[in-house]
Order: sequence, then C-alpha cells, then structure tokens
Amino acid sequence: MVARVNYDEVEAGTELPPLTIPVTRGTLVQYAGASGDFNPIHWNEKFAKEVGLPDVIAHGMFTMASAVRVVTDWVGDPGALVEYGVRFTKPVVVPNDDKGALIEVSGKVAAKLDDAARTVRVDLTVTSAGQKVLGQSRAVVRLA
Amino acid sequence: MTDAEPAAGFYERIKAYEGQSAAVGGEGRDPVNSPMIRHWCEAMGHLLPVDGSAPPTMLQVWTMAGLSGHGDRSGPYDELLGALDAAGFDAVVATDCEQEYVRPLRPGDRIVFDAVIESVSPRKTTKLGIGHFITTRMDLRSGGEQVGTHRFRILKYAPAPRKAPGKRPRPVVNRDNAGFWNGVSRHELLIQRCTGCGTPRFPWLPGCNSCGGQAWDTVKASGSGTVYSYVVMHHPPFPAFEPPYAVALVELPEGVRMIANVTGVPYDKVRIGMPVELEFAVVDDELTLPVFRVREGV
Ligand SMILES: [Zn+2]
Repeated sequence: MVARVNYDEVEAGTELPPLTIPVTRGTLVQYAGASGDFNPIHWNEKFAKEVGLPDVIAHGMFTMASAVRVVTDWVGDPGALVEYGVRFTKPVVVPNDDKGALIEVSGKVAAKLDDAARTVRVDLTVTSAGQKVLGQSRAVVRLA
Repeated sequence: MTDAEPAAGFYERIKAYEGQSAAVGGEGRDPVNSPMIRHWCEAMGHLLPVDGSAPPTMLQVWTMAGLSGHGDRSGPYDELLGALDAAGFDAVVATDCEQEYVRPLRPGDRIVFDAVIESVSPRKTTKLGIGHFITTRMDLRSGGEQVGTHRFRILKYAPAPRKAPGKRPRPVVNRDNAGFWNGVSRHELLIQRCTGCGTPRFPWLPGCNSCGGQAWDTVKASGSGTVYSYVVMHHPPFPAFEPPYAVALVELPEGVRMIANVTGVPYDKVRIGMPVELEFAVVDDELTLPVFRVREGV
C-alpha cells in the first residue's frame, strides 16, 4: 500500500480533515479483548470509582491509536506511520449510557522533516468533553 | 501520603534500577496473525490494511500476556514497583507513550522483546500527588531484526489526600455593606445611589466616587443584565470551587457591573453579551448569593 498524499504538495501548516470518534462501553470491552488489556478501570464502574476515577475510562492505548487515524486516514496507508508519541493528559471518561464519549481529533503538518525520506511531522489536537486528553501528540509519517 | 519523607537514600536506591531489565527474551504469545489484526481493527473502527499487515499502533498487543496474566516480567521491575509501593507511592497512572515503527508487521512474524528501565525520575509533585516517573523502553524484534520500539512512562505516586469540599467563603458583613446583605436575605439586589449627584455605585462603599458625597439611598435592581465579560478559572483550585468554572462580570441596566456566577449554562458556553436574569442561589443554611441565570432561549 502506498501513501496517497504527495510530499511535494504538503506544506507546514497543512490541516488534516478532522475526525470524531464515538466510544461506548461496548467499544472498550471489544478493545480489551482485542488488545489484551483487561485492567478493570476500563470496564468496571465500581472498581474505577474505588480507585478515584470519575467513571470507567478508555484505555490510553485505545485513545492513542484512535487519534492517529486522523493521520493514517489522510495518508491512506496505516503502514506509513514511522513514529508516534503522546502524553496522557486527561482520561476519556466513558459513561454507561447510549451516547458514551466522543474523541475529537484534528491535525496539522508541523514540519517537513526529510526531503529524501519524504517524512513530515503532524501535531494532533485530541479532546473529549472539551478537555485535552492527549498532549504533545506527534506523529511522523512517510508521504508519497 | 503514607510516607511524606522517604528514608534518606531512597531516591539513590530506586535510581539504581536504571539500566536494569524489565523483561528479557519475552516472547509474544501468538505470532502476528490475521484474526487478531481483524479483531483489533474492528474494535478500533480502523480499516483493515489491504496488504494484510498489522496497523503499526497495534505494536504493544504482540507483547501482551494473554488472558492468563504476566509470566515474563523480570525481577528488577517488580522490585522497583514494590519499593515504591512500600514507600507509599502505591498508585499508578500511565503518563506517556512513544513508539517507533521500523517496519510493518505481517502474519507469521514472531515477536520477541526485551525491556529496560530507562529512567527513574527524582521525586516530583504532581496534581495527583507526589511520586516518581518510571520510563521503560521495550525493543521488539522479529527474526533477529528490530521491528519497533515501545517506550512507556508511568507515575507511581502517593495519592494526594482528597479534601472534603470546602464551604463557600463567607462575606465580611460590616457597617458599610450590611444594607446590601440585608437586601440579599430578602432576595433583593440593592444598588447604592448617591443622593448628591445621582451616580449609582457597586460594590457598596461609604462615599461617592464621583462627587465624594456621603449621603445615599438604594435602587432595587430590576433583575435583568448582560454578560459584560468573563473569565474561566482553571487554576489554582480553591476548596469550595470545582474548576473549571466561569466568573462573569454582569452589566445591569441600573448602571453598574457586578461579579457573579452565571448559572444554567456550562462554563464553556458563557459568552459576552448573553442576556441573564437575576436569581438567588441558596448555597447553605447561612449563605444566599445573587447569581445570574442565562435567559431561556439563548
Ligand atoms: Zn455623588
């Protein structure tokens, strides 16, 4: 698979199409099984509250992997991702209702890194319920 | 905090774990395989990579212990966590993750991994409590070649004792402002007016700022107002208030502005120019405060 965004056509400041990702309790149960992370704070409300959380929260790795879709959907190739790092600033709280939570993601090309490797750095803004849930969220991606 | 001042030499003792192994020769429970890739993509709402490779951000999944728990953690990491637990830093939260993807993982790749304790921070005071950051780096290989790096940072901390919510601060009622608080107790918002020059004033003061006159009477506010300005408080926290919250400067048609809470709207929906209406909030048995509710239909 080949990235469909051409390095030469991208500038620092280029904005990526934003993304809204719904998360319900069902999503977290599926993710627990698919990722092998069964920490009860991600599915057991009683346990989550006992350890001081407001409610069940999404897995950090779920939020991280969800958010970077803004980059891989843009590029059209998940395999084009070279590096990716985040800070978990606030948990994504997922209430037990039919709405759950929404993760809002936007991204902007921060810098063109390497003309030969055709890599750019994309900075992500990731919020849920008006709060920044990931900080210093930066992805390096290889373009066509 | 169970142990506010750990024994002398505590940091030196835990820092000595830097460079030690957190996992040696760990083996992925299953080789990279299509069913796990598909389940993960379905859970994430990711499209399946058409070439059958695993999404890069699935990296850590290939190192997870499966449904029956961990078997390949080496001694030093558990010892380090144990030492922190014993010193009162018994809570944990993940703070950072950084990954490098050297090449796509494909079905059949057999993942082996080593993890090292990369750093143990000095004692840090955080919003959650006092603790130490621990960074581990896991190197993943397949067929002898490096395929990715997974760096993970946690905070081991002693939870800051949660304070009972404080009482709202009490107004200082004195001779100069007693009339105002008497009005509030009757659910009236009274504005002072200079009888010399007619200038309204708020908050209550003994003299007129315009003419210096000391004689005054009062005007009862009609109750309507508009948000003239506002701030949203995030920091510092104050016992009786749960940040973030909005504090508004409300302009009254009587010619004064006052600071108050705006009710009936989330903190991030308060806007300059919003029409608001006076109401009285009964905070507790001894305290009633004038606040402004956003008008219906705004
Ligand atoms: Zn006057």
